[in-house]
Amino acid sequence: MATFTERMAPVLVLWLAVCLSGTWAVDRGNFKTCDQSSFCKRQRALKPGESPYRALLETMELTNTRLTLQLINDNNKVRLLLELYRLQGNITRVKINELKPLKPRYEVPDVLVREPPTEPLSVLSQDENGVVLSLGAESQRVIVSARPFRLDIMEGHDVLMSLNSRGLLAFEHLRMRKDTFSYKVTSTVASVWDNIKRVFSSQAEPEAENKEEADSANQAETAKEEEEKVEEGMWEETFKSHSDSKPNGPSAVSLDFSLPGVEHVYGIPEHADTLRLKTTDNGDPYRLYNLDVFQYELYNPMALYGAVPVMLAHNTKRTTGIFWLNAAETWVDISSNTAGKTVFGKMLDYVQGSSETPQTDVRWISESGIIDVFLMLGPTPKDVFSQYASLTGTQSFPPLSSLGYHQCRWNYNDQEDVRSVDAGFDEHDIPYDFIWLDIEHTDGKRYFTWDPHKFATPKEMLQGLLEKKRKMVAIVDPHIKVDSNYKIHNEIRSRGFYVKNKDGGDYEGWCWPGSAGYPDFTRADMRAWWASMFAYDQYEGTMENLYTWNDMNEPSVFNGPEVTMHKDAMHGSWEHREVHNLYGLYVHRATAEGLIQRSGGVERPFVLTRAFFAGSQRYGAVWTGDNAAEWDHLKISIPMCLSLGLVGISFCGADVGGFFKSPSSELLVRWYQTGAYQPFFRAHAHLDTPRREPWLFGPENTALIREAVRQRYTFLPYWYQLFYQAYRTGEPVMRPLWVEYPQDPATFAVDDEFLIGRDLLAHPVTEEGSRGVTAYLPGKDEFWFDIHTFQKHNGAQNLYIPVTMSSIPVFQRGGSIIPRKLRVRRSSTCMENDPYTLFVALNTRRSAEGELYIDDGHTFNYEKKEFIHRKLSFANNVLSSVNLAPDAQFTTKSWVERVVILGASKPGKITLKTADGEESQLDFEFDASMSVLTIRKPGMNAGEDWKITLK
Amino acid sequence: MHLLLIVAAFLCSGTVEARKVRGISSSYKRFYRERKSFLCIDGSKMIPFEQVNDDYCDCADGSDEPGTSACPRGRFYCTNLGFRPHYIPSSRVNDGVCDCCDASDEYNSHTRCQNTCWNLGQKERAYVEGQMRTLDEGLRLKQRLIEEGVLLWREKQAQLRELQQAAEDLQVKLEEHRRRKHEADQLKEQTIKSLEVGKDGFRPQNTSVTSLFQLLDNNKDGSISVDEVKAKVVLVHDEKRVLSEDEALVLLGGGREMDLTKFRHTLWDILTRGDNVKIKDGAPGGPANEDPHLKEADRAAEWEATSLRKVEEAYETVNMEISDLQKKLDIDYGTDWEFLFLSGQCYKLQVYEYNYTLCPFNQVTQKSTTGTEVSLGMWGMWAGPPKNHYSQMVYENGEPCWQGGSRTTTVTLTCGTETGLRSAKEPSKCQYIMDFQTPVACQPVLKQRGVHSEL
Repeated sequence: MATFTERMAPVLVLWLAVCLSGTWAVDRGNFKTCDQSSFCKRQRALKPGESPYRALLETMELTNTRLTLQLINDNNKVRLLLELYRLQGNITRVKINELKPLKPRYEVPDVLVREPPTEPLSVLSQDENGVVLSLGAESQRVIVSARPFRLDIMEGHDVLMSLNSRGLLAFEHLRMRKDTFSYKVTSTVASVWDNIKRVFSSQAEPEAENKEEADSANQAETAKEEEEKVEEGMWEETFKSHSDSKPNGPSAVSLDFSLPGVEHVYGIPEHADTLRLKTTDNGDPYRLYNLDVFQYELYNPMALYGAVPVMLAHNTKRTTGIFWLNAAETWVDISSNTAGKTVFGKMLDYVQGSSETPQTDVRWISESGIIDVFLMLGPTPKDVFSQYASLTGTQSFPPLSSLGYHQCRWNYNDQEDVRSVDAGFDEHDIPYDFIWLDIEHTDGKRYFTWDPHKFATPKEMLQGLLEKKRKMVAIVDPHIKVDSNYKIHNEIRSRGFYVKNKDGGDYEGWCWPGSAGYPDFTRADMRAWWASMFAYDQYEGTMENLYTWNDMNEPSVFNGPEVTMHKDAMHGSWEHREVHNLYGLYVHRATAEGLIQRSGGVERPFVLTRAFFAGSQRYGAVWTGDNAAEWDHLKISIPMCLSLGLVGISFCGADVGGFFKSPSSELLVRWYQTGAYQPFFRAHAHLDTPRREPWLFGPENTALIREAVRQRYTFLPYWYQLFYQAYRTGEPVMRPLWVEYPQDPATFAVDDEFLIGRDLLAHPVTEEGSRGVTAYLPGKDEFWFDIHTFQKHNGAQNLYIPVTMSSIPVFQRGGSIIPRKLRVRRSSTCMENDPYTLFVALNTRRSAEGELYIDDGHTFNYEKKEFIHRKLSFANNVLSSVNLAPDAQFTTKSWVERVVILGASKPGKITLKTADGEESQLDFEFDASMSVLTIRKPGMNAGEDWKITLK
Repeated sequence: MHLLLIVAAFLCSGTVEARKVRGISSSYKRFYRERKSFLCIDGSKMIPFEQVNDDYCDCADGSDEPGTSACPRGRFYCTNLGFRPHYIPSSRVNDGVCDCCDASDEYNSHTRCQNTCWNLGQKERAYVEGQMRTLDEGLRLKQRLIEEGVLLWREKQAQLRELQQAAEDLQVKLEEHRRRKHEADQLKEQTIKSLEVGKDGFRPQNTSVTSLFQLLDNNKDGSISVDEVKAKVVLVHDEKRVLSEDEALVLLGGGREMDLTKFRHTLWDILTRGDNVKIKDGAPGGPANEDPHLKEADRAAEWEATSLRKVEEAYETVNMEISDLQKKLDIDYGTDWEFLFLSGQCYKLQVYEYNYTLCPFNQVTQKSTTGTEVSLGMWGMWAGPPKNHYSQMVYENGEPCWQGGSRTTTVTLTCGTETGLRSAKEPSKCQYIMDFQTPVACQPVLKQRGVHSEL
């Protein structure tokens, strides 16, 4: 078997060289522009104007929780059904579908965690021009205007959001292809049926019938006229050498949203672009279509590996969000009436009072499906996070060890290689938790197998890692080698689990193993089977410290259109077109479920994915794909992960060092320093690059990297607590500044620094040869303490920080308490029982607050209330620990070895009162130059009540 | 019995001390004498002695916590009785991983560590003994190889000298032959010139008239007959046709025979003019070739040319051999030419699906089981560290790589009793490393290392 791959390898390389031009840049020609995507071109050709849609108010039906209303397109008389829901937590859901589609249109399943609970809607007023509905409390209303149709969401006198205000609602109704025989037959049959129905219904509702008849006559006439205009690309489309058969014809949907008062919009990852989204008037819209982009370019709206159709809008008064639940290819246009105006111009407007309100207009275009949009109305950023979390769930709570450092490379060649890299970390005293194996570890790219020579005894290897309390990740991609001697393939084929091509046979594409099939992960039975393959007796050579990585799950098809699957491939009765952006989520989900099941539901999984969709946060971590060893790629890692965090995906990271190309030692060090303060911290490198384990760049650089990784490990308790918070609330772990300082416009576009939780601000050095960085420290009344020197800085200032190669500018917010573990060991698991040092940074009121979360670090027992969650607070010279979860139970061996109070004054004495009422005096040291008070060895258990008093 | 008590007492006191100040070596004991206070070894701070090993880091240098994990920069001393003592970072104390073979680092953790020092020590001693044997044997073999190397070197040098001598001889010979060829050529040229003078309308020399007459006079009877004319003379415009009886008669001036005197005045003129008839081609010797002097000169020139070519070839071959040998001898074969014996050898190793071949001082290749052979580099240089220059070889400029650059192989030489490839790896794409074992890599310094068992 190995020889076959051997033979295929050169072919593949040749193919890659030809197909990917072998150059170090994305071949843009491989990917569609809006103009090359026929529906985008068609839809974008529609210009703002009066909408042809009219609300038929007489069709309005209002139950307690749902309003329905028909819309009619006056051009073709096709009717749509509008559904409007008020959801719990200040969310409004708007659904638009065809009233009577020729066949059902796809509605995205499995993304919402449940059918969202509704709240009552009531009509406030109604006349022939429209209806006003109350959205419950907070004086929020929806105004449904009839002619033309539009929706305005108001709060008091303010319009929060308007839908179809620019008249860009467009809904390509399903239709018969006119030039085919079947159309003629069916349409005749259909009209026969219509006539019969009419006869029956006329007996019941003679009046309505007349109207209907008039309408349908009208409709038939205009529809005919309308459908004459068959545009190119409606019934089939060719891109490069690939043709899309489009048997269902045009089916695009589109809607515009106006956001008055909004100048900043965020989200809709994944794009290699700034945090603040740009207007798209002069170029392509932002594209959402999961694609394996070879060497992506930065600062453009091209689609990448994942798609989350969620946009956040923010101004000093309010944050809102739009969640466009559609898994087909989607494009998002953004325009703004203030874009292009200079700051001076804006000021002039303001002074002269001539300014129109700033406004951002957004337009969503999807190739298929329905319009199903959730308007998350805030008003605060955290409200939007919890609103979105209520719909799609929160970040899965990862095993603590996965927050440590990950060492990856394509590829660690054999067991001996793994052993020696592992030993290298010990030799150089650098902690790490996971070592990773890329595709070459398999037997000829057959996932769930091991190369029989290079990884002959995987359990032995895993046992070796286990003895050092370390773990491993092995890759499992969703393309399955077509090979009748491969068990996985045979099973999938015999169970009929493969995605089918348009002619009904198993879809086959070209990927790493050569010819490959793609399991249909949209099927629940397929996912269940896939999950069962991770059982220890199925996936041979695996143990509990082996975890999984899903790559190539866009899906990547080397010889497919845009390097992905043909849109007319079939998932049961649905075309791939409908489910494309969901595929990766399903792969991720099935894999995570497999890891849960193999432990009998006890252990938390860890699965990394490249492709994702709304809801992927529930299944694990993502990374930003195949970046490059360039300074700009280091910089873009910040906005890329910030954008993901805003839409619920907190566990994000970029390949440290850059995947393609080889980093200079300076870039590598700076990348470690940046990655150490980002949620998912993994170094990775391409097969063709020279080795870059941390100790290969001379002792100085080794020391710098060691220090960066060690800093990460000292903050693990804080990271873990933030992930617990993300799991509970949906709040991002890595946050843009504006999330915490929503009223400070200076923070709105900042994306070269970020917050970790609320209390740490990081401004990593991302410039080559940098001698200093200017960090914006937000908050008028805040203090920020340098975590290394403990120097205190005032908030609301741009602070210039001189830097050397060892500098990682990070600040702790005054008013916060951060628990850390300063005894950095070779892996996070080795640090489990270690004592804490509490860093108490005082604010202007000389107080501080923080939390401490502890559990076993790896099981689901936290769901059974087996954890410690404490509130730490300092006020009136008393530092105390109070139980935040009295009903939870857990014991820890960890104790508090040290308390460091920043911005303190010197006390006369310090006493500790523990839970049993005993009081003792504590030693301390005071550094007057930095106002740092260090309390020596209070020694109390971290899980108990205690009180330290400064006198 | 007495001895046993002493040993027991010794062990006892040892453990007592260890409990007091855990994690230090005997050489550091003087810093930890039980007093009221403890001075951090770097002198930075004075602390009460109770705070030594109390699981809280007071000294910046970590010296107050040699036996706990409290200090980030601390170190813990594994006594490892029976094996080799060594320091581990403090972070490995009580981390659940057994680091010291005497289990002393996990005195307060769930992990139950076995004392494996004795086993390790035995293994280590066996290993070291093996290494020693290998080293001894290796050094012995190396000495022989050095001797052989020297001989080989001398032999090669002698060979070179011989070749150089041969080259010199050939050089002399070559000059001689060049001179002789030159002379022969000159003679030939002169001969031709003198012949050409005759041809150009001046009276041909008697000799040539006579020689032509003799050529025609086949039966040497002193006169040319009709048959003799028919046999040797042809029409210029129709060489194939044999002259008729009548035509021959015309050429002989109407008579059936012609003597030399008549020939000189009649047929000679006709033949030398050559516009109607001529001597048949292929007949031995035309008017020019026929000249015995010229023939001689020609033969001589040709002979000399052939001889010269032979000498030249020999000279070239010898020179090539010299330059090959010199190139080989220019390579650094070590201070005692101990690596010389590797030159011209090749060593093979199969690793997974690849067959690697190292031909020292020449090239490295890789052949896959599917049969394609790829160059992993040509001999480049010695690349060991200054202290051990001959410990590493680099082969460079192998087959180009897909993403630029070319394949390079670094060969590390290690001491062993046999010469051969031990491993071949490709840690990064197109960067190969090999382990090559040979007695000549054995270094006497190795011998000084060994197991110290502290008691």
